[in-house]
Amino acid sequence: MQQIPIMLAKAGMVLAKDVFRGGVPAGMPICGKDTVLTDALITRLDQMDVQTVYVDGHPVWEEGGQSIEEMLQALDKRFEKCREEPLNSMLYDIYKAHLTKSMGGEGGR
Amino acid sequence: MEDKRGELKKIIMDTKTLPTLPGVINKLNALSNNDKASVQEMAKIVSSDQVLSARILRLANSPSYGFYRVSTISNAMILLGVNVVKSLALSSSIFAIMEKNSVGLWEHSLGVGVAANLLARKLELPECEEIATAALLHDIGKVLVSLKCSEAEQEVLKLVRDRQIYMIEAERDIIDTDHAEIGGWLSKSWFLPEKLSEPISFHHDVIKSDNHRIKTSVVHIADVLIKASGFGNSGDSFVPVIQKVAWDTLKLNEQILAELVAEIEDKLVEVKNFSLEMMGE
Ligand SMILES: [Fe+2]
Ligand SMILES: [Fe+2]
Repeated sequence: MQQIPIMLAKAGMVLAKDVFRGGVPAGMPICGKDTVLTDALITRLDQMDVQTVYVDGHPVWEEGGQSIEEMLQALDKRFEKCREEPLNSMLYDIYKAHLTKSMGGEGGR
Repeated sequence: MEDKRGELKKIIMDTKTLPTLPGVINKLNALSNNDKASVQEMAKIVSSDQVLSARILRLANSPSYGFYRVSTISNAMILLGVNVVKSLALSSSIFAIMEKNSVGLWEHSLGVGVAANLLARKLELPECEEIATAALLHDIGKVLVSLKCSEAEQEVLKLVRDRQIYMIEAERDIIDTDHAEIGGWLSKSWFLPEKLSEPISFHHDVIKSDNHRIKTSVVHIADVLIKASGFGNSGDSFVPVIQKVAWDTLKLNEQILAELVAEIEDKLVEVKNFSLEMMGE
């Protein structure tokens, strides 16, 4: 899941969270999680003062953002002292799978 | 060695320079022992603190509490519950202390608070808010070391870098105590309840926690998870070993852990923004 400015939203991206009018949860809900964005919908969201949306995967490269390789390397480094421990090793595998999925997921084209 | 520790305890606990809890917390705590304390009375106390009022309203209007628009403190307190408001008051004052000190540690603490809250809810434990508060405060001892003995702090950080060891090992080496014990001293001087002070004192040594082992276990696991995630900066760059006693106490398993990691990572995307927002205020 990634939060992106509406300007960078593209048709085909999938909403990871509900969107509210004005972007505030106290506002009226406009469209739900799992909605596939279209150009028309993006224009409408923009007109309704929605500034950012949460989308599936990690479709937009951020300034200073890490590549999946760099992320996995950092993960290895963090687990350097405890990989031998069975419970930690289980946690390592879970994190590795999570990172791979969230960076390469549906939105990661 | 005992001398060094005793001396340090004296320096750290010197009440003249010890951070104090703002009056609003003491007033709220005083009320809590009085069953007749009405929401209205509490709301009056809370309203006197603008920052706290703003945070409470923001939380009450957040999506996890539904879509109602809440605009008064007393309605917010009815919605959130008195305990949440007390936790929030406490964490808001801790934030004020930490903010000036270290953004990295504040983010780490916030992350551990979020992770502990998600874990406690997932396991359907009682007193989730208290657990989240304990988690938010778990490394408060580090703030104290940094405020009171910045030279020792620098030595600890250098040792951590040079020898690539865990921070707690370096602390024991250099100051003959550690941030968990120091956090315990501070909790006593603040008269925090045992359900908060025990997780703070024993989050690196769960087996020593006798009366609130479940809460301590949650905070320990949450600390490990946030270090694994790499969120914030606790001063440690290595993930600690998961303590078996905590794992068994909470009856965790691989499936729960995998679901939890996904939930935490989703939440942290929001927290990151929230934390940036708080910094900008
Ligand atoms: Fe700690
Ligand atoms: Fe920590």
